[in-house]
Amino acid sequence: MTETRLDTAEGDLDTPVANGEVPILEVNNLVMNYEMKSGMVSAVEGVSFKLPRGKSLGLVGESGCGKTSVALTLMQLTANNARILDGEIKLDGENLLELSNEEMRRRRWNDVSMVFQGAMNSWNPVYTVGEQIRETMDIHWDPKPTTAEARAKIEELFTLVGINPEMIDRYPHEFSGGMKQRAVIAMALACDPKLIIADEPTTALDVIVQEQILEELRKIQDELGMSIIYISHDIAVIAEITNLIGVMYAGKIVELGPTEDIFANPRHPYAWLILSSTPSVTGPRRVLAPLEGEPPNLLDPPSGCRFHPRCPFATQKCADEEPPLADIAPGHAVACWHHDQVPATLAKVEA
Amino acid sequence: MVIKDQEAAELLEQDLESVSGVELHEGDALPESLWRVRWRLGWAALKKNWKLFAENKIGLIGLFLILFFALMALAFPVFRAVGPWQDDAVYDPIIGYDAVVQELEVVATEADVVDPATQIDAVNAQLWCFGALPGDTCEIPRAPAPPNNDHWLGTDPLGRDVASQLTYSTRAAFFLGAVAAIVTVVVATTVGSMAAFYGGWLDNFLMRLADLVLLMPLIPILIVVSGMFTVTMPLLGVMIGILSGFGGTAIVLKSQALSVKVKPFIDAARVSGGSNMHLIFKHVIPNVLPLSFLYMMFTVTEAVSLEATLSFFGLIEAPMTWGIMLSTAQTQGYLRSGLEFWWLLIPAGLAVSLLAAGFFFAGRAMDEVINPRLRAQ
Amino acid sequence: MLRFIAKRLVQMAFLFFLFLSLVFFLLQAQPGDISSQFINPTIPAEVQQQILARLGLDGSIWSQWWNYITNFFTGNLGVSFSQFPEPVIDVIGERIPRTLFLFTFATLLSYIMGFTLGKRVAWKRGGFSEYTVTIGGVLLYTVFYPWFGILMILLFASTLGWFPISGFLTPEFWRNAPYTGNEVFGQMLLSLTIAGIVVVAGLILARRAEERSTARIIRRGGYALSVLFLAGFWLLRPDMRPYATDIIHHTILPVVTLALVAFAGTMLLTRSSMLETLKEDYILTARAKGVPESDIRDHHAARNALLPVVTSFILGLAFIIGGGVVTETIFSWPGMGSLLLTATVIEDVPLATGALGFIGILALLAHLLVDILYNVLDPRVRVQGGR
Repeated sequence: MTETRLDTAEGDLDTPVANGEVPILEVNNLVMNYEMKSGMVSAVEGVSFKLPRGKSLGLVGESGCGKTSVALTLMQLTANNARILDGEIKLDGENLLELSNEEMRRRRWNDVSMVFQGAMNSWNPVYTVGEQIRETMDIHWDPKPTTAEARAKIEELFTLVGINPEMIDRYPHEFSGGMKQRAVIAMALACDPKLIIADEPTTALDVIVQEQILEELRKIQDELGMSIIYISHDIAVIAEITNLIGVMYAGKIVELGPTEDIFANPRHPYAWLILSSTPSVTGPRRVLAPLEGEPPNLLDPPSGCRFHPRCPFATQKCADEEPPLADIAPGHAVACWHHDQVPATLAKVEA
Repeated sequence: MVIKDQEAAELLEQDLESVSGVELHEGDALPESLWRVRWRLGWAALKKNWKLFAENKIGLIGLFLILFFALMALAFPVFRAVGPWQDDAVYDPIIGYDAVVQELEVVATEADVVDPATQIDAVNAQLWCFGALPGDTCEIPRAPAPPNNDHWLGTDPLGRDVASQLTYSTRAAFFLGAVAAIVTVVVATTVGSMAAFYGGWLDNFLMRLADLVLLMPLIPILIVVSGMFTVTMPLLGVMIGILSGFGGTAIVLKSQALSVKVKPFIDAARVSGGSNMHLIFKHVIPNVLPLSFLYMMFTVTEAVSLEATLSFFGLIEAPMTWGIMLSTAQTQGYLRSGLEFWWLLIPAGLAVSLLAAGFFFAGRAMDEVINPRLRAQ
Repeated sequence: MLRFIAKRLVQMAFLFFLFLSLVFFLLQAQPGDISSQFINPTIPAEVQQQILARLGLDGSIWSQWWNYITNFFTGNLGVSFSQFPEPVIDVIGERIPRTLFLFTFATLLSYIMGFTLGKRVAWKRGGFSEYTVTIGGVLLYTVFYPWFGILMILLFASTLGWFPISGFLTPEFWRNAPYTGNEVFGQMLLSLTIAGIVVVAGLILARRAEERSTARIIRRGGYALSVLFLAGFWLLRPDMRPYATDIIHHTILPVVTLALVAFAGTMLLTRSSMLETLKEDYILTARAKGVPESDIRDHHAARNALLPVVTSFILGLAFIIGGGVVTETIFSWPGMGSLLLTATVIEDVPLATGALGFIGILALLAHLLVDILYNVLDPRVRVQGGR
């Protein structure tokens, strides 16, 4: 039983088009605003991307750039004051934004599960970890699993993510931070979703545990063919495990492309600057370039390109006209008028 | 000593700055004493917090209620001295007497009484007008009398003016609240700071005592105590203050004091040679005080209702309070038959409830200002 | 668990010892010498000495204090002045079941109402219902309680006539009754206690069940069994039923009045505790898991919001016991509270202090129960204390 469920994750037979051609997730022109007393906060502005089946995409940007808002919008878990104004979220060809609340509830975890920021607090302290994983199965499995089936599945998942299966009946406070995060990953797999969204999956962990968790996630992607979206402010984490990267700034994707391309040749000034501000262990020694200024106030975002007030290459055009996200190479898109002026090497600040 | 204070002041300033969000400029604090810095910061924080407080409707209602009762408390001496009740013994809340005379028409038998408000049968009429015959008019003094021009809220069963009793008692309630509040603040800040600062057996003892006070119902204890001693308003205020100060408030303030104890300016002051007492009184207590004032509001709420309850049971030695007003009406049997004598029931009961509510509302709103996590987004 | 209870009991005994000592020293601090009440100064000195010795008043204050404590713990509370020669312990023994009854039902009712309403109000943030319920709750919380009691009597007893105005039973109705009030009341308590035990046993067994569906069946079986038991118990006592009904009729208004006032505190606290809980990450996780909204409210949020509410029960306890004293007085309900007040007013010192001591015991025992309950509800505490 559990075997077959794992198998279906590889591809959905209902899809009319052949597997490779329909991306598991396609987001088109997603616009989400928060309604505040003082006006509308433009948190997600025209975000579009495609995630091929079995691949992983990393969304990266400084805090407040709308990464987590994108993730929550995909799940339709945004706060009450959030308004999804436009766009499509096609999971396996089906637009999630057209579903009723009840239909969407059934899709959650069954089709898209999440590994949250700070797994420490993802666990309800008054139930055992096993009970909380079981809950997802009771909701989504059809027919509901018996106790024996549920235990078998949870034990299998625990073994997969490297937790002693005997921990099933323990309470969250008896788990260490890393173990809680592993258990969250196990829970994310409990209903064999088509897609996992991992929001800062390693942020609160120490470096060694961080590495183990990333390893675990990579294994899941490779072995189960899982499609994963990673969200992190830490570009090093993203670099390590993703196939694709979307660099976000002020609610928009400013550069989107294969991970190696972006690392080797960032074309957006913002991407170039954040890569320059990341120390490299293997690369040449350099003084890190500072990213000056503050992130913009999204209640009243800058005109034209939202990055222009902080951009070293900005011209009048940047303030007047908004650059579109345009392909500069196959699969590599940039939203910048002056992408060709961005140096090929990372920024250096000479002392 | 002065230098020590200045060093501590700078650190304190940083600390308060982060708490209150008030901007300070370098060198500001140096020529001033520590208390003046505190005062100025406190004032700035107050101005800022007032905005937050004013956003809270419940808090404003509470403040309005408190102000209303404060005016009412002022009304009594003012009315007695220069106002409508000037020099008139009738309006004394305790010994005044004014029966409102009512003229009733005497009719033959009880069956003939159509309107009891204007008619009385001949037999009953003999009690007041000996020899009255049907058709006569009989003047009957009535107490309690319903509200009229002379007595805006009527008179009580003993012919005393209810409005004057009500305003007179407001003063008593405020006085009691103030005594209880001051005692609580003094006791609770001292107990909380001492427990946090010294720890060990003292902490243990004080906290077990706090548990005991918390667990033990106040009303039964105060009832028994009032049987043993003559409980006057000041004594009651002190008792409530002490009980509240050693109980829950002490526990809350202890945890606050603990968080102050680990702040850098305490270490700074200690390094520069401050004694424990100096640290507690100069550094810990001033930082615990704001929270202490918050709990003071709740103590006032408690004190007002406790006093009213005890005096309703006739256990307080006071000339007149709201509880005594209700108690008089109750023991004379005027509260059993519905709302016919509403002026004996409603004003006093409402006054107790609303004054308690006023302090409670204001306290809640202050709580939201002090604890930002309670604030609605 | 047993070790935890034993430890708690020792702590409680110590607290109670402190409390009794406090009462004793209050008695000592009374103006005037207590012996002057019993000794006519004109009688010979050795007779005076004999009387003092018999009363245990000849020793030092410490030996008197020790006598007082040991006497209390052995149930020797002296003889009531007003109901001479009845021992205080007997007077109290007669009153205690009634107070327990009032207290238990008012508490249960107030907590169930307060918790259910509080969690719903917090869940539907910002609606009209939140506004009205919160304002109503705050008003009930700050209302002058004796006054509120009078208003309730005026409305429901005097004006509407639904309930009797006061008392524990209707004397005229019981004039030729084959039972005394206490006999009937004893049977009522007995049946309710057994029914309560059945329900609790069902809940405990359900926790141990492997399958959720079995757990539900056991839980519901417990409820059904206790209802069946109650029905059977009273079907077998047809002569007693009308008298029991009369007592219940007298109980409703005091219980509801006390519960209403106590309920406000629970509701307001549940509301704020629930609002805090709803901000927790695990609530978002539960949403992401596709848990139905009502389950998020009841199983994820409310279950956690319950914890601080249970803790605050300790504070509510003192409040509700104090409220009980007021209720009993206003409704002329012959329990411990009205006993305490009457004894105080007529200066029956042994009876008043004895009643106070027992109210203290009541508060401590209820505290112990709450502690155990908290222990069951919060796994974090349970594991630390249990293993």
